Amino acid sequence: MPSFGRFPFLSEARTAGERWLTAWARRRQGEDATPLTLRSRRLYILPTRAGLAAGVLLLLMLLAGLNYNNSLALMLCFLLAGFTTVSMHQCHRMLAGLRVHRADVESTFAHQLGIITLQLDNEDSRARQGLMLRCPPCERQRFELAATSVRSVDLPYQAGRRGRQRIERLELASNAPLALFRAWAWLHLPLEVIVYPTPQGERALPPPRGQRRRTGEQRVRVGGEEEWASLRSYREGDSPRRVAWKAYARGAPLMVAHYDAPAGVHRLLDAALLSELPLEARLSQLAQWVLECERLGDNYGLRLGNLELPPRHGPAQRRACLEALALYGL
Amino acid sequence: MTRRAQPSLAEPVSPLALWLTLGGFLGAVLLNVYQIAAWCAPVALGAVAWRARSAQDSPKLPGRVVRIIVIAVLTVAVVLSFHTLNGVQAGGSLLVGMSALKLTETQRRRDWMIIIGASLFLLLAACLDAQALWRLPLYGLEVWLLCTALYALGASPSIVPLGTLGRRAGGSLLAALPLALLLFVLFPRLPGSFWALPRQNEARTGLGDDMSPGSVSKLLESDDPAMRVRFDGPLPPPSERYWRGPVMHDFDGFTWRRHRTGLVPPANLGIPLSLQFLGTDYAYEVTLEPTQHNVLIALELPRGDPPANLPQAFESFDYQMIDSTPNPHAVSYRLESYPRHRNSGPLSTFERLLDLRLPRSGNPRSLELARTLRAAAVSDQDYMKAVLDYLRKGNYQYSTAPPLLARDSVDDLLFHTHQGFCEHYASAFTVLMRAGGVPARVVTGYLGGEWNRFGGYLLIRQSDAHAWSEVWLDGQGWVRVDPTAVVAPGQLSDELAGLAAVAGPGHGGLRTAPPWLRATVQVWQAANAWWQDEFVGFNFTRQIDLIDVIGLRRQGWHALIWMLAGGGGLWLALIGWAYRPRARADRRDELARIWRLLERKLRAFGGARSAHEGPLSYAERIGAAHPEHAANLRAIARRYARLRYGPQPSAPEVLRLRRAVRWLTLRPQR
Repeated sequence: MPSFGRFPFLSEARTAGERWLTAWARRRQGEDATPLTLRSRRLYILPTRAGLAAGVLLLLMLLAGLNYNNSLALMLCFLLAGFTTVSMHQCHRMLAGLRVHRADVESTFAHQLGIITLQLDNEDSRARQGLMLRCPPCERQRFELAATSVRSVDLPYQAGRRGRQRIERLELASNAPLALFRAWAWLHLPLEVIVYPTPQGERALPPPRGQRRRTGEQRVRVGGEEEWASLRSYREGDSPRRVAWKAYARGAPLMVAHYDAPAGVHRLLDAALLSELPLEARLSQLAQWVLECERLGDNYGLRLGNLELPPRHGPAQRRACLEALALYGL
Repeated sequence: MTRRAQPSLAEPVSPLALWLTLGGFLGAVLLNVYQIAAWCAPVALGAVAWRARSAQDSPKLPGRVVRIIVIAVLTVAVVLSFHTLNGVQAGGSLLVGMSALKLTETQRRRDWMIIIGASLFLLLAACLDAQALWRLPLYGLEVWLLCTALYALGASPSIVPLGTLGRRAGGSLLAALPLALLLFVLFPRLPGSFWALPRQNEARTGLGDDMSPGSVSKLLESDDPAMRVRFDGPLPPPSERYWRGPVMHDFDGFTWRRHRTGLVPPANLGIPLSLQFLGTDYAYEVTLEPTQHNVLIALELPRGDPPANLPQAFESFDYQMIDSTPNPHAVSYRLESYPRHRNSGPLSTFERLLDLRLPRSGNPRSLELARTLRAAAVSDQDYMKAVLDYLRKGNYQYSTAPPLLARDSVDDLLFHTHQGFCEHYASAFTVLMRAGGVPARVVTGYLGGEWNRFGGYLLIRQSDAHAWSEVWLDGQGWVRVDPTAVVAPGQLSDELAGLAAVAGPGHGGLRTAPPWLRATVQVWQAANAWWQDEFVGFNFTRQIDLIDVIGLRRQGWHALIWMLAGGGGLWLALIGWAYRPRARADRRDELARIWRLLERKLRAFGGARSAHEGPLSYAERIGAAHPEHAANLRAIARRYARLRYGPQPSAPEVLRLRRAVRWLTLRPQR
């Protein structure tokens, strides 16, 4: 991409032009839905800077050949012109007919990088090279698709403030095989994500409430404050922190310490405890507490204005709480 | 998940790409080795070797100051070598030097692409320099190599096998070939040049309105065709293939010029009535390439009538067939000529004065020589023989690169340099004859020609240009004398022998060769002739001819443009079709084909396969619904799964499976 550091007005004009162009493409293409096949109608292709240089080179060759009336030089020029054109078709083909099966976006915290996962399907008998996927303004992700293959690609996106965020546009591009042309497509997939408040704050967790149930010999102390009830076999998605590595090292199968949090013992994360903080700081502190409770394996409930979530723990609870925090007051 | 990075222009390149690019650059330099300065090739070789040696580790690059100094030195060196920076040779040398310098700082992909661009330009320079047929494969290989390097650069830093890259590049070039041919034939050519490049003291052989022996140091052998001649009957013998062009009368001591009377049709200066044509006549059609003069070249001597399609032409008193203006395009005309002729009538006073005139001063020693010889001679004919004897015995040499002559050019040639080509000797001989009181003039034209067996015509090239003299002898008229033949009989007889070799079997050096060698040589010669004539010689004129052949002259250039647009569009459509996305498994994959067949049969029979079903479960499900086929289907599905997902299957196994699937008939039982 050319940079116009020395000519700021050019850079502005370029940004404006790009904005107009993307808006035009959005109007033209409409909203996309998965599964999505990239048809030629929505593929754009332009020469890169190297391609423009190649064009100038070809023009000079043409002029030289015409001036000297030299058939061989002209033939060389025409052959290379054809070659370049063929490479343009090859570049176009890197994207044409590509299918996007699914697109998922993972929630993340405000102002952090999240992950979008796209499942791409190359039904073509030729590999697709030099693919670049990008969610502006993040870095592009580079990958290839082998012939007749399916793979998923993770790419980062930049989360904004808390609340609902739409991923407006993904850019899928390729400059293979010669980097003389760059073909690209804009994907306007229905990707919406809830951005959580940034987890931060100094306050200690509110103290636990209710009775701990004592069950004698089942309880094992593994050090520190962590207590756990039993081991169960590992399931995908379990936190590696909770894996019983010592047992695993002794040759046992992969086990996970299951924190059978005692019924009745829970922490109530109450926004009212933080009433002296401004709203955003309060939400951030609550988010931080949610993460802390999850880490400890404690049950926790959330009280936020009129909303009250009963004490529980686990991914569902975490998500419910963080989403409630993310959307509070919006 | 492996992430192979696709480089942007700023990324380093794979070793393979590096080697290919270095090889391509070296090839481009070698193809230019004859025309670039002598120091260029070693410099380029050194740079390539240096870069190749430091290919493994990141090279230590010279600093900016060093580079600027080297650029300055390069430029000075080129100027010293060629005295200019303009032109193919100087430009090519400079490009080689600059690329060699660039090689010392190539790291990123962008740099390597610049090297490839420079190499392509060098290849172009080689094409401009030499178009011989035997070089064509070299050029082809070089293009292929450079394109392969481009693909390697595009794929790097991923390592793609060389074979794959070569196939890709070759395939793309082949796909580009039809368009290239189309453009070659139809892209509008120019009748001339945008700008002429300087050629100091180098003459293209070819004819003009004047002739300055000694001003030109080097005779450039231009293989451009000058004219083609088709004879209605047999060809004249090689010794009579003198093609008459502009006749020079006026000599100022250094330059011969045509006489102005010859340039306009004078009412009373046509061919003299006393001219008699003798012997056999030859009727022929000439296609004359664009000329700088207005003479229609003809075999000696053309009969006086102008060609039917050029009624404005006329034959002047000195037997030139003169058109109104020089021809900027090729022109065709029919003529009839008699190699033998006689003019018994008296020479007109005008002509006698014209062809006896010498500059008042200059060439004193030659005039002295003429006086001496004349005093000893009893007749004009005797004198002529004496002069020719003098030339024959004077140890004169034929040279295409003679030294430059001083102001008294004839003296300088005869008594000092002793070297020259046809112009020098024709000029000297004519001056001596005039000094001895014999009317004489210089005739320029062509000698010989190459018989093109396959085209059925005689091809006369610019390099066949020749100059000779005509001398008036009373009772005989104007007699042709070729002093070059006297000075260097070998030179002309070689030409005529070469001529005989291609003119027909039974002559020349090939006579003793075995038949297969003779045939091979002839095929090669024919291929060369075709190449030179049809490909290298394809130009503006031929394009016009082509439009004529298609019968679209009236549409003119529009026809060309329309054909170009139509053909180009067709090619684009074909390429688009060839590179369309193919939503199919690899066609070469036999197993995939078998599976598709099986799936089609199963779908027609028991419904489509769900997305989650593999071959085994699909067959199992259909089998469960139709127990009579269950065992068979299960067996086939298992076999397929084993071949597909197991170790590399053998061909007979695949064949057996295909047969089983092909013969599989599924019919529901009633």
